[in-house]
Amino acid sequence: MATSVAHTSAPTHHHYTTLGLDSRKVAIWAFIGSECMLFVSLISTYLIYKGRSVIGPFPHESWTDPSTGQVLKPILNIPVTSASTFVLLMSSLFMVLALAAVQNKELPKRTRGERILGNSKLWLFMTALAGTIFLSFQAFEFTSFVHEGLSIRRNLFGSTFFTLTGFHGAHVTAGVLWLVTLLAIDYRRGLGSRDSLLVDICALYWHFVDVVWIVIFTLVYLLR
Amino acid sequence: MATTAIRTPAYGAEYPGEHGGLYSWLATVDHKRIGILYLYTALGFFIFGGLEAVVIRAQLGAPNQHLVSAEFYNQLFTMHGTTMIFLAIMPLSSAFFNFLIPLQIGARDVAFPRLNAFSYWVYLFGGLFITLPIFFAVAPNGGWFGYAPLTTKAYSPGLNIDFWVIGLQILGVSSLAAAFNFLTTIINLRAPGMTLMRMPMFTWMAFVVQVLLVLAFPVITIALVFLLFDRFFGTNFYNTVSAGADPLLWQHLFWIFGHPEVYILVLPAFGLVSEVIPVYSRKPLFGYPVMVYSGILIAVLGFGVWAHHMFAVGMGPIADTFFGLTTMLIAIPTGVKIFNWIATMAQGAVRYTTAMLFGVSLVGLFTIGGISGIMHSSPPADLQQTDTYFIVAHFHYVLFGGSIMGIFAGIYHYFPKITGRMLDEKLGKWHFWLMFIAMNLTFFPMHFSGMLGMPRRIYTYDAGQGWDLYNAMSTIGAMIFPIAMLFFIYNFFKSRRSGEIAGSNPWGAGTLEWSIPSPPPEYNFAKIPTVTTRYPLWEGKEPDHESARINAQEGKTPHELGIIIPYSTMKPLLVAAGLIIMFCGLIWSHVLLAVGAGTLILSLYSWLLSPLEPEHS
Amino acid sequence: MKGSDRLRRLACYAVIAALAVAAVSCNEAHPNTTLVPHSDFGREIDFLWNRLLLLGTIVFILVEGALVYVVFKYRRRENQGTPPQTHGSTKLEIAWTLIPAVILVFIAVPTVKTIFITQAQAAPGSLNIDVTGHQWWWEFRYPEYGVTTANEIYIPVGRTVNFRLRSADVIHSFWTPQLGGKRDVVTNRTNYLWYTPDSSIASSVWNGFCAEYCGSSHANMRFRVFTVTQAQFDSWIAGQKMPARFGAVAGPTPPAGGQIPPPMEAPGMSVPAGANAPSQTAQGAAPRIARQSSGTQAPGGAQPAIPRPQTPAANPGAQTSVGGVTPSTGAASIPGALPAGYIFPRANIPDYAIPHTPIPADLKFTAGLTGSAARGKQVFSGAACIGCHSIAGNPAAMGVLGPNLTHVGSRSIIAAGRYPNTAAYLALWIKNARKMKPDVLMPTLGMDEYDPVLKAKVTSANGGLTDQQIADIVAYLTALK
Repeated sequence: MATSVAHTSAPTHHHYTTLGLDSRKVAIWAFIGSECMLFVSLISTYLIYKGRSVIGPFPHESWTDPSTGQVLKPILNIPVTSASTFVLLMSSLFMVLALAAVQNKELPKRTRGERILGNSKLWLFMTALAGTIFLSFQAFEFTSFVHEGLSIRRNLFGSTFFTLTGFHGAHVTAGVLWLVTLLAIDYRRGLGSRDSLLVDICALYWHFVDVVWIVIFTLVYLLR
Repeated sequence: MATTAIRTPAYGAEYPGEHGGLYSWLATVDHKRIGILYLYTALGFFIFGGLEAVVIRAQLGAPNQHLVSAEFYNQLFTMHGTTMIFLAIMPLSSAFFNFLIPLQIGARDVAFPRLNAFSYWVYLFGGLFITLPIFFAVAPNGGWFGYAPLTTKAYSPGLNIDFWVIGLQILGVSSLAAAFNFLTTIINLRAPGMTLMRMPMFTWMAFVVQVLLVLAFPVITIALVFLLFDRFFGTNFYNTVSAGADPLLWQHLFWIFGHPEVYILVLPAFGLVSEVIPVYSRKPLFGYPVMVYSGILIAVLGFGVWAHHMFAVGMGPIADTFFGLTTMLIAIPTGVKIFNWIATMAQGAVRYTTAMLFGVSLVGLFTIGGISGIMHSSPPADLQQTDTYFIVAHFHYVLFGGSIMGIFAGIYHYFPKITGRMLDEKLGKWHFWLMFIAMNLTFFPMHFSGMLGMPRRIYTYDAGQGWDLYNAMSTIGAMIFPIAMLFFIYNFFKSRRSGEIAGSNPWGAGTLEWSIPSPPPEYNFAKIPTVTTRYPLWEGKEPDHESARINAQEGKTPHELGIIIPYSTMKPLLVAAGLIIMFCGLIWSHVLLAVGAGTLILSLYSWLLSPLEPEHS
Repeated sequence: MKGSDRLRRLACYAVIAALAVAAVSCNEAHPNTTLVPHSDFGREIDFLWNRLLLLGTIVFILVEGALVYVVFKYRRRENQGTPPQTHGSTKLEIAWTLIPAVILVFIAVPTVKTIFITQAQAAPGSLNIDVTGHQWWWEFRYPEYGVTTANEIYIPVGRTVNFRLRSADVIHSFWTPQLGGKRDVVTNRTNYLWYTPDSSIASSVWNGFCAEYCGSSHANMRFRVFTVTQAQFDSWIAGQKMPARFGAVAGPTPPAGGQIPPPMEAPGMSVPAGANAPSQTAQGAAPRIARQSSGTQAPGGAQPAIPRPQTPAANPGAQTSVGGVTPSTGAASIPGALPAGYIFPRANIPDYAIPHTPIPADLKFTAGLTGSAARGKQVFSGAACIGCHSIAGNPAAMGVLGPNLTHVGSRSIIAAGRYPNTAAYLALWIKNARKMKPDVLMPTLGMDEYDPVLKAKVTSANGGLTDQQIADIVAYLTALK
């Protein structure tokens, strides 16, 4: 079993490639290019529909519920989301450390610090954990919004907001599953420097998902 | 843990698929066999879409006819468009991408052979998913463009549009997976010396098309996700009634995809013709660099012209001006291509084989489509043309005169390479001339019915409107197509069985794919060649004699040559099946959804964790 | 060579095609042609079109000519060796990049000019018409006059009309090919389109279409534009402004501007449906507009029902079953039968503006019934009709989902141009609209008729009407001139 796993990691060094790169690396860049268009479409739609909801709740403006006459606050909770954003940003740092740890697996580790930095399991776990915490924040946010009366069916803001952030959340979820899979492989047989491509393409994806969140956070939460 | 003991590749020396049985086809990861699967399937859908058109034309042959009901007519025209675009022309192009790209760039397969199989199976299942409902009269009926809010639940409560939304979503997965694969293949698997500017023009156009696919399909994916959410979960993206949504959102998203899609449909045919014309003129393609740059320019500009489909929606003068002008600009690189093809033939020694006839007819017919295209690039003039039969005439000259004629040129040209046998030229010429006459008789009169005021997408029209003659002509023309196709089908199967043996290079062509036996061995190239020129078989400055000699040999097994061939596997098929079952579950039952998702995840993991090919010993 | 003859034929074909374009543009047998504009807007477009056609034809001839020349000239000869291996020519390629660019300038400049002319605001003093697209009919309102009508508009020649386009449901597109380009009617938006009909086209009828696919009956969403003189228009407006005249208003208003009521609209005529207006048009010439020749009717012998209801003998199938409806307004003294204002004379409506749609073969109507308008009003006011239709002057009828019927008797078409507005068609329409026009919203009302939406037969319990009741309603509606 372990050896069969090894095959996925074995770079196709015996195949000639034009760029000298593994094809998976080329493909992930094409994939990321495609994903950009996906999020551009989602974000554009959000921006086009911004401020066009017929009824509240609204993201940045308070509104009066006509049925109760109650004045309700803007729905976005920026401090909480800032915290989750920070967590996600940290996950990118962990990802960098995880990749470095895998790439330098065979280098001798002398100090305790080097051993910690070289612990790929730790950093893969931390990345996945940070991703999971981010997802928990999102789950909390979604639930509290629904409690405050904003469902995906409520208004244009609800539809665009949940779809956009939900799509991003789905990407984070996929990333966490990917990381957990890598972690499992690491536990099974250990990831070495010859597997670095596996971690490398996962890292590219993970950083991309992070960058997208920065854009979403700025345009949806910060920009009024 | 010796699970990695080298298994004998499942199809060993059995290629090409004259023998090998069903399993060898279900489990194949060979790009050539997948190409053949694409070819057969897409030709099947092409014929089906054509039959739909025949019924459409029969209904419109005379005023006030009621061969089919309004509702069924609407399903027919929706499915005719959807079938021809997504199930016929795109996959026919894919058949050539699959078969030719690795051969033209000197590679043994595509970058991700199993992903390639997955693309095909998803296409097949998705095609059936979207096509079968018409037998139960619940086929999509919102037009291939599916304008919201007509396609929202409020105005289309039936299952019809659900099949369309989900079907297109499935086909999108297939197209995207294939695009990543070919893009990577072209970037990364070119033989030594095969620089970008030495790539055959077909591969170049394929390259441009993959970029378009990668960038355009996410947009339609999102547009469809919105519609899917609206229909299934009650979101408001196109809910104009109570949420105040803007129906133009759909149109913008759709056409940001839809216009590049036009080039996705036509550029592969341009590429094929750019292979065909030089071969039969025995001259290199005229102005190769300009042909490359114009292809790229078309693709780039193609993303900036989408709103020319929307001149009547009232975007205002500024937007109309912008999109009108960009649309006119795109005529320039397209014109250059036409002129360069003509110049390729000029001073050549032109042989009029069937392939060449189809190729030349593309140049002539696409020119007509291009000229009428300029006519509606002018927004005010377009206000009289849009949504009339003039547009129908225009895009059939582009997509039939362009794409289909180009694809048939490719089929006649590459059939010997694919099967090892020649197509019958006499039957081929019957096919060509009948199709050429049918095409012009059907579509040219539509220019007139359109300018005489006949709107599109009407299932009937009244007498006395001045359209009867032109409609009768179109209908007669449409009835000739099936006859032409019968010639082709007969020729295809007859020649496949008993056609003349082709040899490696029956046409005296100059590019790499003709240096290897026909049909090619499963490893394509016994020795990866080193490329020094655009037409290695014509003008080799320092010809790679050794590779040429080795590659021309037949009958060696990969094992004898020490070439590693990927395992056959049905895992991509299983993943595709899981995907389809999951989507079916969205319509019919949650149990199905869970079963599909389970199959998908399990077989995907099993695929990703199993080796592509035996390890080197 | 065999192929060369064929290619030569192709060249001839191309020339013939180009000539055909020229021929079509001046052929009067094409009532919806976009090539003979009758408004300022239409002429702006036509100017561009002519230029596009000219340049397009030149390019076509040059390119196809070059192609055909090359195709013949460079055929491979016997024993011909390898031709010169040229790879390109920078000079040539620059030339054929620049030439199209220059040609495009000649298109682009007038295009941009025209965009800004035609999309400017309508001139002040324009006649506003609010257009609302419905699945599948058109609602027209004249806001300055408080007039609401459906599927037919009257506009004075020589005055700019400004259409304000809105949709009640999905996207439609408003198009009168002879008068100007189309403009989409988009949900949640107001679009504008204006043009000034030429003074020379007074007393003409033009076909209009929905040009954006809008569902099942998209093909059956037509309308008519009557271009009339200002005086006729004023008279028409005066008539339309009045409430429904049957039993409501006494005394006809004399038509303004010295217009003589057309002979067809003589008061109190009890006209057998079979002999109604369209048959008169068959003889009555519409002098200004050449009609489609009867050639289109040639294969009509095989049709189940000849579109134009003439004598029962001419239309044995459907006609006898409906021919018996005799819309009667009761006595000749009832003023309701007299049009209040100008109505475009039915005798002058050209063939192309009279629907020819055949009646579904299996839809029958009891022969020989005579309707009473007075009874019809009662039946109408107590039936489902009032849920969707308004009739000013009938306080029971306040519905807004369907066309306003205040002056329905003055209109020439029903069902958005699918059928002529005669008693025979109207009766069948009320009886089973869903059979008459696919997926129409109007419910099936005829007793014992099958309704495809309810998937059941209509009974008295769910508002079914007997043929006699329908005949009465028809008599009432046709009286609403």
